[in-house]
Amino acid sequence: MKRFLETGNFAITEGAILVGCRFFAGYPITPATELAEAMSLRLPQEGGIYLQAEDECAAMHLCIGASLGGYKAMTATSGPGFILYADPYGWALGCECPVVVLNSGRVGPVSGITGAPGQGEFYLMRYPTHGGNFETICLAPNSAQECMAMTVEAFYLSERFRMPVSVLADQLITDGFEDISVPENDAEMKEMGFRVWPRKIHQGPDFYPVTDELDIPPVVLGQNTGALCSDWTPTEEGYDIEEVEAHHKHAYRLIYKVRNNRHIFNHLYEKVHMDDDPDLVVVSYGTPSRVVNTAVKKARSNGLKVGALRLINLWPFPDEHFSLNTKYLVVELNWDGELVREVQRAAPKDSDVHFLGTCGDLPTVPRLTETFEKILKGQPLQRIGWEVEAW
Amino acid sequence: MEYKSSDISSAYLRSRKIPSTACAGCGLGMNHKIVIQAIKELKLAVEDIIWGTSIGCAGRQTFGTWKGDGVAGTHGRIYAIARGLRVVLPPNKELILTVGDGDAFGIGLNHLIHAARSNADMTVIVNDNLGYQSTGGQYGWTTPQGSKTDSSPYGMFEHNLMSEGMDVLHILKGAGATFLARHVSMDGAWAVDTVKKAILNKGFSLVHMTFPCPTNFASKELGSRDPVKIFNWIKNHAAPMGQEKDDTIWVTGIYHDASNSRPEFSRLIHETVEKIRRTGTL
Repeated sequence: MKRFLETGNFAITEGAILVGCRFFAGYPITPATELAEAMSLRLPQEGGIYLQAEDECAAMHLCIGASLGGYKAMTATSGPGFILYADPYGWALGCECPVVVLNSGRVGPVSGITGAPGQGEFYLMRYPTHGGNFETICLAPNSAQECMAMTVEAFYLSERFRMPVSVLADQLITDGFEDISVPENDAEMKEMGFRVWPRKIHQGPDFYPVTDELDIPPVVLGQNTGALCSDWTPTEEGYDIEEVEAHHKHAYRLIYKVRNNRHIFNHLYEKVHMDDDPDLVVVSYGTPSRVVNTAVKKARSNGLKVGALRLINLWPFPDEHFSLNTKYLVVELNWDGELVREVQRAAPKDSDVHFLGTCGDLPTVPRLTETFEKILKGQPLQRIGWEVEAW
Repeated sequence: MEYKSSDISSAYLRSRKIPSTACAGCGLGMNHKIVIQAIKELKLAVEDIIWGTSIGCAGRQTFGTWKGDGVAGTHGRIYAIARGLRVVLPPNKELILTVGDGDAFGIGLNHLIHAARSNADMTVIVNDNLGYQSTGGQYGWTTPQGSKTDSSPYGMFEHNLMSEGMDVLHILKGAGATFLARHVSMDGAWAVDTVKKAILNKGFSLVHMTFPCPTNFASKELGSRDPVKIFNWIKNHAAPMGQEKDDTIWVTGIYHDASNSRPEFSRLIHETVEKIRRTGTL
């Protein structure tokens, strides 16, 4: 094991290389630029290819091309670039093409604030493209070390599920320097819980079977298998067809291969002080969870029965964590409240769901503990200036 | 050299997709045959070629026709997919893309320029039916000025990429394409020769080939869906380079042949990566 004081971008690069990623295409954008730079340095040393694309849309299409040629491929961007992935993301979902996509969130909308963290893409990660009739998988790490682990996991899942898998980080995690351990061999990777799935080649002729089956190798072109993949409704053999029954079969696969196999990744969450049915559950993901965990531990030491639930597997949304009829506080790096809507939906109908949003900066521990107290005492949350605390 | 269409078809094309679902009188099949004949004359096998398409008439009607591997991209994106594929495919595999004018010269032009810039080894056949015909017949970037279409009911009055001395092939030449040519679908064996040269170039080649659309373009512009009328109209407005007349729209022939003159994209990438891997530097 080698230890570094490095950024999340470094950790992601090393994680990708460890699992055999040998193709990266990206377009410079803060705060994901350093990842592209790290890839441009490291990939050629490993015999891999780094391409700088003409735009983000091309970046993900280049990855699709490389994946179709049999390579494990990855791209990375931030919100304004992620929105340009809408086109290729849909293609990769529909054609079942494994690609790993990293989104390092910054403050939006539009160009917003480049160098500050934001969580404005919670729903965009679920619906990264148009048309519906699909499920997506999204993982959200909260540290540089976990960025590596979730990159590794995203590659594993993208091969097994045969689809693009996204990692949602934010500016603080990808740009921030932290203590990072990089495994040096298979045993160390195993010790760290890293799972690896090799790229296999589908031999046809049923390239798009109408089942929720996993572990079907993806289409690889240039192997003389006669593979066909297109953006239209495929038949099982890959022919394009526009026909409702065939499309329903295709959509069934895209939806249920994920829904019916959630057990493969739904262990990805963290619970702190959650064993005694807390009076208040604080829900978060990504960087804010680190402050939340500290605040929850502090509140516990002050006698408040508070617990923290951190989601790592963001999508499909893990409803199973919200069976407790209690009070919930959702802490997010946005002012409009995104995750909180999903918590409201998943929690029992009469439970009390609150929202605390900051953006560009993290909430402080005192502010969080004060909010916990107010909620537990049943006091109303008040607007502070333009900030919305009550939801 | 002449071949019976049925022989070519059974050797290279999937019977399920031939004949295509194109409109009656559509000229796309002529372009398609030109490309397949060029492949046959080069003695290439099914497994030597990966076929890429886009959307619209040209993409939709040619996707899945090739017996070997095939991929279709969404609007304008096949050039980026093809470039990613090119760099990981064995160099002896040929990439042939049959796309439309809207796809190549409209929505995909940025990606196309970067495919030319990088000199990625692929042969792009732009099948030009003079606008967006599969969506009902709107003007495109090579629609002759003055043409009436569904979205230019008063006549197409904008500057476009083939008017007033402007030419999309000039853009692509400036961007670094190493083989560029223009034909109309009636050019037959001459166009076959050109496509052969395009495929033989180990770099970015593009052949712009106009074909007749009786259903939408001709019905609006010529007031008739009679295939003969639009065939003759295109033929009468096309002339080989050096024999242009005042009313010539399509000057045909090879515009630019710098075949094999500068390093091909994937070769450059792989040689560079290999050097860095071995020595740690360039």
